[in-house]
Amino acid sequence: MIYYFARTSLTPEVNFNFATHHLSLKGEAYPENAASFFNPLLEKVSSYLDSISDETITFDVDLTYFNSAATKMLFRLFGLLNEAGQNGNTVILNWYHDEEDLTSLEFGYDIKEEFLELEFNAVPISETA
Amino acid sequence: MNIKGLSADEMMSAFLGLEFNGTVMELNIFNMFRDNADLNGILFYYNGQITQNVILTMGDSLKQRLKEDAHVDSPQKAKKLFSSFIEMTQNALHYSPDISSVDEGKSAAIAVGTIEDSYFIVCGNLIKSEYIEHIKTKLDPLLNMTMEDIRKAYREQLKNDQHETEDAISKGAGLGLLTIARDASKPIEYSITPAECRVEGVELAHFFLKVTI
Repeated sequence: MIYYFARTSLTPEVNFNFATHHLSLKGEAYPENAASFFNPLLEKVSSYLDSISDETITFDVDLTYFNSAATKMLFRLFGLLNEAGQNGNTVILNWYHDEEDLTSLEFGYDIKEEFLELEFNAVPISETA
Repeated sequence: MNIKGLSADEMMSAFLGLEFNGTVMELNIFNMFRDNADLNGILFYYNGQITQNVILTMGDSLKQRLKEDAHVDSPQKAKKLFSSFIEMTQNALHYSPDISSVDEGKSAAIAVGTIEDSYFIVCGNLIKSEYIEHIKTKLDPLLNMTMEDIRKAYREQLKNDQHETEDAISKGAGLGLLTIARDASKPIEYSITPAECRVEGVELAHFFLKVTI
């Protein structure tokens, strides 16, 4: 029940532990073809969400850069989680962002505004790199 | 970016990696090119085959360069520059025709430079002429939009789930140019001119996109 991909230069670490209801994405996302990277993830998440009820799901998203095509795919992913919220689950979205990255924070707030079922937490982190 | 001593056509050829006057670039031309690149604030220049790996390597090198560059007055500016660089080069990778008889396959020319307090990125690549109208329809509305309009269009496109069925030519999410326009400090500039070469019966055009951040 664990869906895991190691981080690459162009794609984030994917760690979806469906047994503990803890999902995370960490790294950067700008593959040449965002759909072929994200569509399998969306399918896994979708069938996981269909199989649960009254659960609390925690999703940690810690992406330092994602391109426009990845942005769209993330938006879809949050759409699925929002539906799970409408179906009685609790979904906590921890949105990690560089404290100086206003673009990422702004996208986070777009998600918060659009997907009202998500418990959205913006988590600022200071740049250490 | 005018490089003294080279005509526009020769510059274009140099940009696109074609030979001109039947010879490869001589050393004196190289020096002239380099001096003029410095004069015009060019930080970074690439011309040649473009692949996802080339984009990755250039992106990393640009990130390093930006860490030390005095024009980066905020981390936000460096991030916007990196983001526009990736969107523009991935766009070139997508639209550049894959021509089997041209040995290097997909190719593009990319320059990053500074002007006054800003950065600019220019990206040039060949496109199939059949895509000219498609690209114009996407770019022209952006040229006269206010920042507020651009943000609004961006949000609408983000929510638009019909994009893939409406637009079979763009591979991404239809958000690339809007992302570039959103991060730019001036309206984006572009030019499309017919290319004299016609390869494997396919009509081609030169596409240049310039963004200031």
